[in-house]
Amino acid sequence: MNDIRRDEAMLTDWRAAARRFEAALAGAVLGQEAVIRLVTIAVFARGHVLLEGDVGVGKTTLLRAVARAMGGAYERVEGTVDMMPTDLVYHTYLGEDGRPRIEPGPVLAASDDLAIFFFNEINRARPQVHALLLRLMAERSLTAFNRAYRFPLLQVFADRNRVEREETFELPAAARDRFLMEIGMEAPREADIRRALAFDPRFHDTDRLVAGIEPGILDPAALAGIAAAIQHGVRASEAIETYVIALWEALVRPQAAGIRLPGIDDMAGLVQGGASPRGVAALVRAARVRAWMEERDWLVPEDIRAVFAPVMAHRVFLEPIHELDRAEIVPALCRAVFETVPAP
Amino acid sequence: MRPLLAGLLILLAAPAAAQPGAVEVRVPRTFGYFLGDLVEATVEVEAEPGFALQAASLPRPGPVTYWLDLRSVETESAGTRHRLRLTYQTFYAAIDARTLEVPGFPLVLTSGDAHGATTAPVQVPGWSLGLSPLREVQPARRADPAEYLRPDGPGPRLDPAPPRDAALVLAGLALPALLLLARDRAWWPLRPRPARAFAEAARRLAALARGPETEAGYREGLLALHRGLDAKAGRRLLADDLDAFLARHPAYRPQAESLARFFAASRLAFFGGAVAEARTRLPLAEAQATARRLAAVERAA
Repeated sequence: MNDIRRDEAMLTDWRAAARRFEAALAGAVLGQEAVIRLVTIAVFARGHVLLEGDVGVGKTTLLRAVARAMGGAYERVEGTVDMMPTDLVYHTYLGEDGRPRIEPGPVLAASDDLAIFFFNEINRARPQVHALLLRLMAERSLTAFNRAYRFPLLQVFADRNRVEREETFELPAAARDRFLMEIGMEAPREADIRRALAFDPRFHDTDRLVAGIEPGILDPAALAGIAAAIQHGVRASEAIETYVIALWEALVRPQAAGIRLPGIDDMAGLVQGGASPRGVAALVRAARVRAWMEERDWLVPEDIRAVFAPVMAHRVFLEPIHELDRAEIVPALCRAVFETVPAP
Repeated sequence: MRPLLAGLLILLAAPAAAQPGAVEVRVPRTFGYFLGDLVEATVEVEAEPGFALQAASLPRPGPVTYWLDLRSVETESAGTRHRLRLTYQTFYAAIDARTLEVPGFPLVLTSGDAHGATTAPVQVPGWSLGLSPLREVQPARRADPAEYLRPDGPGPRLDPAPPRDAALVLAGLALPALLLLARDRAWWPLRPRPARAFAEAARRLAALARGPETEAGYREGLLALHRGLDAKAGRRLLADDLDAFLARHPAYRPQAESLARFFAASRLAFFGGAVAEARTRLPLAEAQATARRLAAVERAA
């Protein structure tokens, strides 16, 4: 009984911290409240995030701001075509005495304390690098120097610009599935925000902007505990369980659910795969965090809907002929799923 | 010896081959023809070796005399013997049996090579044809020639009853089929009315209110109103969508407060696991009243 009360108090305190975290980010990255909310949910769901968007909309700035506001050890690499997995793990150089040296690379450097690993332009790295990330993201461990390194606090943030297709490598399905969310980021549309971004010198110097954020609002070491407390603290009623399973079914077999999309004749063969159990588990995890942030200790359909597209859309794999149009088809499919499946 | 031999040769050759230039006309019979009969005549011409009938000299089908037409001409050749098959038709209306002369005609035989052509004219002689009158027919004399025509035979009398009955039955069947088609195609008087979603929900709630009030019944009542809202919005309406719904259907704006209470209660009942609390906050009777008011607005809209 006492434990539960302490948990509740802790959850309330952390909710205030999460609000401050969001406010700090919103001060640095204007007009991206929805993205910031999703990133915060991902932080408290202990999930990895892939940001996707146009060039210069502030993906990197947002992730740097997240790293600073969150606190903890932080490493950053830039994806390039010639990057090899060993470049992440080992740092090789010639010592002063002229002998070659091998030391822990960017991933291993902070090891146990590594809280944020920020992979810039992840689609520029080769599939070998993506393969290394599989284990790092799923199991939070890595074998190097003949021993296993563990990264209990690790959270991977990656970004990818969707403009260029040349000299880039599409993330394999397995790697995409390991990202909790794939968040699309658009430039803000509001006129006053655009004006501020264009004319306010505060937004021209990213380093100063990020440095102005209050550091270490969240304690990475405690996040795992609070994340578990949230997952245990937010109840899911039978109705919501039925609802999620119905959504899942409708997403995988849209035709059986009676969904028709314009311009697609073969609805039965549209969705080829994906929408894995891991994906649905992630959906519920993120939805619980959202319920907690909305000061509820039970799930409602709106929680599911708020995180559905970022969590599920990138896990759905379409028939190859429609794959090129997935930027239109998958959001339309997600919308249709919510318009079709009855909530209560 | 020599004259004797030559004479013997002539004797031997004479029956085997006719004299070159000889013409013979053969007719199956030369008498007993009536008006309109076809007469087939065969003309055989014996030519010198190397000579052939000149096609241009053949008689052309057409009238020969005022009573005789030539219908067709066919030729065939075997060695030096050339044969013409002529088909005549007589139109002579004879009053008594008499013999008429079919006129002859000239033919030309040619033998041609690279240096020039040799021609030899041949005259086909005329021949005579015996024509007979038709039997006499003597109908009674009539003033009007039309009266010679015989009337048509009488047709069978047909009973109009069976086809009329069938037509009536089929018309009777066609009418409901037309109605069905009109309903299916939503033709004029049968346009589908917009479904009255809230009326249906209010009906369902009223039916539930008559029964004993149970937890399951309460949930079912909320569901009925949910389905009504879903149908009206054209999609599944969640609590957070209420404002957007009211903005799109401003007629229901006066019900905003009761709808918000309904959504809050439904949330508690279905997802908060607190049906009892939801029932105190929004009794079924109040949900029913809300549905009734919504239905009234819907009817007015």
